[in-house]
Amino acid sequence: MRFRQSAFLGTLLLLTFSISATTDNVSGQSTPIDIAQNKIVQAFQIVNQADLDGASPAAISQLASNLNLALSYEQSAIQLLPTNKTGSGVYASLSLNMSTTTAVQALNVASAARTQTLLSQLGDYSLAVASGLGSTLLVIEFHRVKNFVRRVRLRRLRLD
Amino acid sequence: MASFSLIYSSITYYALSKAPSQPFIAWGVFSPSETLSNYFSGVGMNVTTHKILTWHFEVTNQMGSIQYVGVVYRLGNSTSNNPNATAPASATPQIGNTSRFIPNGQTAAINFTWSINSENQAGGLVVLNMTINGQQVFSPIGSVKGLKFRFFFELWTYDLAANSFLYGYEGPGSRIGNWLQIWFNAA
Repeated sequence: MRFRQSAFLGTLLLLTFSISATTDNVSGQSTPIDIAQNKIVQAFQIVNQADLDGASPAAISQLASNLNLALSYEQSAIQLLPTNKTGSGVYASLSLNMSTTTAVQALNVASAARTQTLLSQLGDYSLAVASGLGSTLLVIEFHRVKNFVRRVRLRRLRLD
Repeated sequence: MASFSLIYSSITYYALSKAPSQPFIAWGVFSPSETLSNYFSGVGMNVTTHKILTWHFEVTNQMGSIQYVGVVYRLGNSTSNNPNATAPASATPQIGNTSRFIPNGQTAAINFTWSINSENQAGGLVVLNMTINGQQVFSPIGSVKGLKFRFFFELWTYDLAANSFLYGYEGPGSRIGNWLQIWFNAA
């Protein structure tokens, strides 16, 4: 069920990216570098949300490494632009692909993190309620425990 | 019974909750000897032409979530206005920048390798042609006899609500500007 949901979200994201990239090209105003930069920010937004949703530090670290790789491709695209437009375009495309992949991964991570957080919160609440009930019973019924212990002692004394 | 349960449950939940902490980003410029000093390898503040200096920033993110951090470089002189806790040194031209994604609780090392290619005279001042991280940079800011130049390094973070980099980082209630400077003479 979770896999289906993640796959659906991933497909939706890819479609959104494709449509927005097409729109950017049609407008004729955005360069491949601009598009790559926008995708990096979009991917960052999703990774940030995954982090806030409680994704594990290891998962976020991996996503951050991917984003940094996308950034370095984008930097290479900028550096190559004055002398080698084709090379610059290749790096911009690499950056775009890396950002898109990272965003899809981040969606999956976020979905898993939300489930985990929910379970963890449920566990915490249950533990809190159980401890509360246990402690209350102990305090209220403590006299019964005392009586029980006293009776056991008396019985032992009689036997002796 | 209900009151007792409520009190004990609250105490247990409080004990299981994470303690609140104040978010911050810490950073520094490190010399090749991995210290916050000795930037010019024991020759005072003088930097000769073509001498390559390899510094790096270490930026630690304790903001509670991943940050998109930018470092802006400016070259000023003794009369340039400093950045401050609320505003960057906008009057001093930017000569470069770099950015990095840093997960919460991690420290990123960002290289800053630079050299002076040539010193030129302009209006009685010495202006510098430099290379920073492999990029040739010409700064319009000059200095008398090439003395008392200074780098301003400003910390910026990407604000998703504003959809752009903003100076400093989001503190409790307001943004906190953060900057560093290193003086040098072009000798």
